[in-house]
Amino acid sequence: MTVERTEARRFPVGLLLVAAPVLLVAVFVLLPAIAAIVSTLRPDAAGWSFSAYARFFGDRLSTGNLLFTLVSTLVTSSALLLLCLPIALYLRFSSGRLPTFVQSVAVFPLFVPGIIVGYALIRFMGPNGTIQTVLHAIGINGFRSPYLTPVGTVIGLVWEGIPLTLLILLSGLAQVPDAAIEAARDVGAGGLRILTGIILPLIRNSLTVAFSLSFLGVFGAFTMPYLLGPASPEMMGVFMQRTFSELQDPLQAQTQAVMCFLFCAVVGVIYVRSVARSRRKSA
Amino acid sequence: MTAVPRRLLQMAPGVSLATLLTGFIIVPIAAVFLWAFAEVWRYPSLIPTQWGFRFWAAMLSRADVWAALRTSIALSVIVTLFSALICLPAAYAFARLEFPGKSALLLSFLATQAFPKFGLYIAIASIFFSLGLVGTFAGVVLIQLVNTLLLMIWIPVGAFQAIDRRLEEAARDVGASATRTFLSITLPQAGPAIGAALLLTFVGTFYETEGAFLIGAPHVRTMPVLMISLINNQLVVQYGAVLSVMLWVPSFIALLFARKILSARAIAGGLGA
Repeated sequence: MTVERTEARRFPVGLLLVAAPVLLVAVFVLLPAIAAIVSTLRPDAAGWSFSAYARFFGDRLSTGNLLFTLVSTLVTSSALLLLCLPIALYLRFSSGRLPTFVQSVAVFPLFVPGIIVGYALIRFMGPNGTIQTVLHAIGINGFRSPYLTPVGTVIGLVWEGIPLTLLILLSGLAQVPDAAIEAARDVGAGGLRILTGIILPLIRNSLTVAFSLSFLGVFGAFTMPYLLGPASPEMMGVFMQRTFSELQDPLQAQTQAVMCFLFCAVVGVIYVRSVARSRRKSA
Repeated sequence: MTAVPRRLLQMAPGVSLATLLTGFIIVPIAAVFLWAFAEVWRYPSLIPTQWGFRFWAAMLSRADVWAALRTSIALSVIVTLFSALICLPAAYAFARLEFPGKSALLLSFLATQAFPKFGLYIAIASIFFSLGLVGTFAGVVLIQLVNTLLLMIWIPVGAFQAIDRRLEEAARDVGASATRTFLSITLPQAGPAIGAALLLTFVGTFYETEGAFLIGAPHVRTMPVLMISLINNQLVVQYGAVLSVMLWVPSFIALLFARKILSARAIAGGLGA
């Protein structure tokens, strides 16, 4: 009797307590996304039309920026994995003070706000910055600064992305049992064979989460490309901001945003599914 | 004989990673610190040619710096309070109560991360535009609030789940009321993690640049937005450096406290990793 009553009482209470944040997600994430799709397909009261998209695809600047964003995103996300996987492997299979130091330095960017990083990197790699000064001191001249080039954006986004990518890979590697590696070593498997045959398959989910999260992060980035990237071609974040705020063209900015959603939709779904899978596994 | 070179060889990967990461991650930030205390630093000198606090005095006497600081603090306090008010009860429900659709609803907060962020901001800004919320403080509060949800729910959910239920049952057995049990047993155990989540939310809101820049401009100027205009106007290098050091050091100390409570892993987890 009492059990039934508490169950009956609890069911609406739980839903009621979570209603506010769930509604916020609905109103500020799903609704704007749907509204953007609908209003770009119904540019005026006349009815449905693809005119906004025709304008987007008829404009070399727009398609160029989209392609540039896609390439920059793939390059950055791949660079992050290639940089962080060796670090993560090193941290997983060694102990002592040096690995602790390496990990602290690698996680450090998590605690530095993007705007300060952007500023610091301008001073670091910009004209007359730290790199150029040091190169000059050791007698190397002719340094060409990556600041305001596509490489500048990639450097900034890699700087920002290291901690998350590394931590995701580390938590995947933590689940690789030592026994499996020792067994493989006993039967004479070399380092590369162990990596490709045992470790990588076991951390596939972590690799997916890391790649998809950095893909989404870079595709939707604004601060780094705005501060460090070239004026043309632009990453979509900068392009959308300019269209919205400077050209005061919300409709075209929304069209650009929907194109971003479209290109990221698959990755977004993969990301949510992989996180759900790894949560189920650890639960 | 071979012992020493072998040891060196074993250390080689660690040493090269440490050097590479220090050069790439620490040196740029260190250079900003040098710039903040440099009165004169001409290329190609390796260190400042003249040190001093002149630019600190100049920066601290600027009215726009103080106005931006007030705006940023007010914004962070309000957003953190609202976020806590909305999210903490929800986190408790997710961790301890049963209701239909629970795991799907918990995952729904990932939606805030599953979109390319600036694209989502543009979609929100377009709605705000028609509602007249662009350029208003309320608009900036709302867009920041959405940003905080994932962290403010997922970290406290973990904290509430980690509580030893037997302690609560024991308290109830000896006659403590439900409220008393919650206040004396549940809250103290979850407290540190919740405190860390609050701190992360506050700091995250303080430094959030993109939403504030898109929605707030030109009327609402937070510290990061001021920083953007300093960089865009290519003013004296030291202004940006002083502002960076001034803004970053307090937050870094605060975040180190958070790190004592939460692992970097948990912090990353709050970001949906």
